[in-house]
Amino acid sequence: MADYEPQEASAAPAQATGLWLLGRGQRTRYASAIVAIGISNAGFLLAPIVAGSALDVLLQEDLEGAMPMLAWLGAVWPGQAVVGYLFAAALVGALLVALGSFFMYLRGRWAAIASEAIAQRLRDALYRRLHHLPASFFDAADTGDLVQRCSSDVETVRRFLSTEVVEIGRCALMVLVLAPILFQRNATLAAFAMCLMPVLAIGAFAFFSKVKRQFQIADEAEGAMTAVLQENLAGIRVVRAFARQEHENERFGTASAAYRNNLYRVNTLEAVYWGITHFLTMGQIGIVLIVGGTFLAAGTITVGDLFAFVSLVGMVVYPVRRLGEVLTDSGKAIIALGRVNHILGAAEESREATPRQRASGEIVFERVRAGYKPDRAAVVDFSAHIPAGQTVGIVGPPGSGKTTLMRLLLRLYPFHEGRILVDGVDVRQLDRHWLRLQIGVVMQEPFLYSRSIAANLRVARADAPDAHLEDAAREAAIHEAILDFPAGYGAQVGERGITLSGGQRQRLALARALLKDPPILVLDDSLSAVDTGTERRILDALARRRGRHTTIVIAHRLSSVRNADRILVLERGHLVQDGRHDELAAADGPYRRLCEIQGLLEATIAADVKTAEPGQADQADQKERAHGGRG
Amino acid sequence: MADAASYEDELYNDGIDEHAAADGMQLALWKRLFRYSLAYPKELAVIALAGLGTAAAELSFPLLTRAVVDDVAANGANAAFALWGAAYFGCTALLAVCVAAFVWGAGKVEAFTSHDIRREAFANLQRLSFSYYDYRPTGWLMARLTSDCSRLTDILAWAFLDAVWGIAMMLGMVGVMLAINWQLALLAMAVLPAVVWVSSKFRKRILLSARLVRRTNSRITGSYNESIMGVITSKAFVREEANAEEFSQLTATMYRASVRNLLLGATYLPMILILATIAVHMTLAAGGLMLLAGTLTVGTLIAFMAYAREFFNPVTDLGEWFAEMQMAQAAAERVLSLIDAKPEIEDSARVRQALAAQLAAPRQELAEDGGAKRIEHIELRNVSFAYEAEKPVLADVHLTVRTGETIAIVGPTGGGKSTLVNVICRFYEPTAGQVLIDGVEYRERGLHWLQSNLGMVLQNAHLFRGPVRENIRYGRLSASDQEVEWCAKLAGAHDFIEDLEHGYDTDVGEGGGRLSAGQKQLVSFARAILAEPQILVMDEATSSVDTETELKIQQGLKFVLQGRISFVIAHRLSTIRNAHRILVVEGGRIEEAGTHEELVALGGRYAALYRQQSLSDATRQWGG
Repeated sequence: MADYEPQEASAAPAQATGLWLLGRGQRTRYASAIVAIGISNAGFLLAPIVAGSALDVLLQEDLEGAMPMLAWLGAVWPGQAVVGYLFAAALVGALLVALGSFFMYLRGRWAAIASEAIAQRLRDALYRRLHHLPASFFDAADTGDLVQRCSSDVETVRRFLSTEVVEIGRCALMVLVLAPILFQRNATLAAFAMCLMPVLAIGAFAFFSKVKRQFQIADEAEGAMTAVLQENLAGIRVVRAFARQEHENERFGTASAAYRNNLYRVNTLEAVYWGITHFLTMGQIGIVLIVGGTFLAAGTITVGDLFAFVSLVGMVVYPVRRLGEVLTDSGKAIIALGRVNHILGAAEESREATPRQRASGEIVFERVRAGYKPDRAAVVDFSAHIPAGQTVGIVGPPGSGKTTLMRLLLRLYPFHEGRILVDGVDVRQLDRHWLRLQIGVVMQEPFLYSRSIAANLRVARADAPDAHLEDAAREAAIHEAILDFPAGYGAQVGERGITLSGGQRQRLALARALLKDPPILVLDDSLSAVDTGTERRILDALARRRGRHTTIVIAHRLSSVRNADRILVLERGHLVQDGRHDELAAADGPYRRLCEIQGLLEATIAADVKTAEPGQADQADQKERAHGGRG
Repeated sequence: MADAASYEDELYNDGIDEHAAADGMQLALWKRLFRYSLAYPKELAVIALAGLGTAAAELSFPLLTRAVVDDVAANGANAAFALWGAAYFGCTALLAVCVAAFVWGAGKVEAFTSHDIRREAFANLQRLSFSYYDYRPTGWLMARLTSDCSRLTDILAWAFLDAVWGIAMMLGMVGVMLAINWQLALLAMAVLPAVVWVSSKFRKRILLSARLVRRTNSRITGSYNESIMGVITSKAFVREEANAEEFSQLTATMYRASVRNLLLGATYLPMILILATIAVHMTLAAGGLMLLAGTLTVGTLIAFMAYAREFFNPVTDLGEWFAEMQMAQAAAERVLSLIDAKPEIEDSARVRQALAAQLAAPRQELAEDGGAKRIEHIELRNVSFAYEAEKPVLADVHLTVRTGETIAIVGPTGGGKSTLVNVICRFYEPTAGQVLIDGVEYRERGLHWLQSNLGMVLQNAHLFRGPVRENIRYGRLSASDQEVEWCAKLAGAHDFIEDLEHGYDTDVGEGGGRLSAGQKQLVSFARAILAEPQILVMDEATSSVDTETELKIQQGLKFVLQGRISFVIAHRLSTIRNAHRILVVEGGRIEEAGTHEELVALGGRYAALYRQQSLSDATRQWGG
């Protein structure tokens, strides 16, 4: 199944998206959030300046060089201008921080709404796209990897959008607002106050880009460990059947230790990083304090200036340190978006015009050839004409192309040569959705959704009344089994609910296809896990539907196909025989060989049955004769 | 597949109530988990010391600021700048070293403890009986060993650090402030109750809403997973729009839950900031008055303002950990339940003794458990089995099987065929009666010995991701490439494997998904043959294989089955007819037993079953 070449070109345009496009519809919110963080920063930055000014006023005990607005406010305090100024400064300082906090909230709010809205759109787009991608896309991909692209990569992008986008704005604004304030107060001290910041930002950026590889290795090690775990749990019965516990313990132990050691290595790097950056951060403040102290002693700055400088530098140095991380995270987000775009950018299945009416069910294969490489074709030069309403059996060894034919008919995979016609129209000119609605298919290993049994059946026909559900279930010989579940048709299927046996799954899938009541019914080895008595009941039910659907039965038990109007025998992708059972059984060829394996048996059986219980055998004989006479 | 890790617990009700588990602090639980960290005493000591060192350094910075400001105020240009500079440099260096040390220590404890817990849980999973797996989804088990383990060890390492640091920091600040100026200290701490109150109100709500986000997220992940696994079915039933419609409801829920969670966070932090700023500015106002009165130096005032701002960090940090620990208690219970789960089937004390004795003084002619290596015959005496007491799956089964015999088991679905075989292989133990191997009750023999002598081929053949060759080799890890290919030939798998793109090196994909059902069955057949088992079980093992290929396998098997016991469960006549004995199992009982001829002659259930399958063929041959 893996061997197919890429799908025919899609009509739908690619939907790959960049960071800027992603922001569509939310850009105003982002802009508002950045403005909000600017206002918030201004509040936070002004507060220490106000407090510093109060300290100066207190030390000088007069209002020279004081802030006019605070002086005006302070005048409310009767008599004592200095005390009034102090109280005004405390009040205004607190209000500034409160204002800053309020805008911080607004920033958080807007960034949250914007980023979540974008994430929601991204998730919906991914889900939709996954449903419309050609089947071949999934052969080349790994389920776990695709799920990771849709979940953790989207999460990386979302986190970037919700915090980092605004963080970059905040960092830039802070430095832009702060630098002039500091330089205006004292240019030399300002230069000292900022001397280590570029080192911090560039150092952090360099560090994270350098250790990116190590982070990735740790991530991969975690993925590898999870994969070992998942494989082990999914195959626990095989592990037990071969008593391989020790081997598995060792395998998991190795994988888990590899993850641990890589995590530890990353962590050691981080320890060094945090140590150094803490040193630089506190060192930067220390430089301001000591150099500022000498300036203070020299009288070039006031105590208030020093207080403001120390507080402001403390406030700015952390975001600057974060800047290095933010920039690396942006890099990660861009990589994650690239992985997401692998899905969003893949070509969808093409759509064609939809015929209005229901198909009659006539199928024609004309010299169809399909496969990965010319020397590795799964189906070669296959031709067959199946009139509407006919029942056709297909037999052949594993890998002979039976399932491939079914997938070609459903237009799940492209073919290179020849044509497939439904109702005389090339399937490539028929809309896939319409085409698939005409075909009810039951697969070898059927897939059921994790919902209730009833909901699984209604996948075929959303508005089907309960009575129809039960009819279909009866025909598929699964009705009684369903009623045996405590919740009956409401029983949940899948991990959360009941466990169905292979045979039950096959019968449920059959009921689902029968409920669809399509012009074309395809059973792909879908009774293999059903016991013979039940198989008989199902075949009888299908026989009653004869003529209502064009029916294709792929099977290994001859009993499943021998009553078909026609049997096609496949070998290594070639159609080697085509005819009714009697014709094929009489002709020299693979079908006869199959019959001989069973036919030889049947002769013995007949003999056995006759000698063992002549009376009963005679009865059966008569009954069958009567049956045969009707047919 | 790192993301199966985010699988959440609403997918499977394991009986642990998250809300109840998050009530109060279950110290016993954490004590037990902490014991895993105790394996790293050096690292714990480093964390504790580094936490104390960090607190000491952080306490010193405001004091140094105070010293510089006051020294300059007193001595002007003669202030001891060099001394303060050196002291500041020293504190900075101490802080840097301590930070590096605790990041290293906590990271190591986290990574190593996590590995230890995972390994122990995994090893126990390998011992647990099938019945444990019957009711637990793979995703549930995976979440315990991945995300839960990481979450718990994250708490163990970092909460320990923050506890040491936070308590030292709080006590230190309170002590220093009280020592310098107790009135101002009390004022700076006045908003503490409000901080504690806001913190306790918000933290738990934030965590609860985060849980809803996580759960919705795992449902979304599950939906993606389902949409990819079922893509062919969804296409065949043209479900694209309907599925997308349902999914968009999920993402809408996710949007609401996430925004709510983020808004709670966006409200909480500003509130704490406002409270802290009130403390800072109250300190400024009151301290300013004291400064005017001359009872306080300006350096002290600056230091106090710094303390007032920093004081609430350890408080909120500790509150956060407290809430996080409460929320993680459910995860702790789950992980421990997995480690504590007792296998229903395990070696008895006597068998363990025998195993140890044989290991200490090996006797080559005996098996690992000190018993005979060869199995001559297996006897079932009055064997009954039931999952639930009132619903017996097997009732009073008697059976004796000898080496070299092939036993076919037929009967309707749900009649107990597979259970019978599982009891013989001791994947389940009889609830009544005995299974004797060469006259010895099999509970007196080693479980591993018995099961390492098994070869099983199941209808839903499970293969592991990786090359075909390695999948076959799983039957006997020491087998050479020639032996692998020889068994593939016997199983009729060689030809199709050679035809694969990379032959024996072709990756079979997740769960063997790149092969067809029939091909998987053939590969798992080869795997079982390679194991050279004394007991070979084939449970509808060729149901997806055509009759001709099956015949080839049977011819190959004739050679393989010599000297072994084999059980064949099948629906197809050609598969069972050649067995030495055929058992008809129905309603948990062996209703008929005998050779093909005997049973046909008996004219009972087997004969009916048999006719059912052959009559139509026979009819046509008789000219119908």
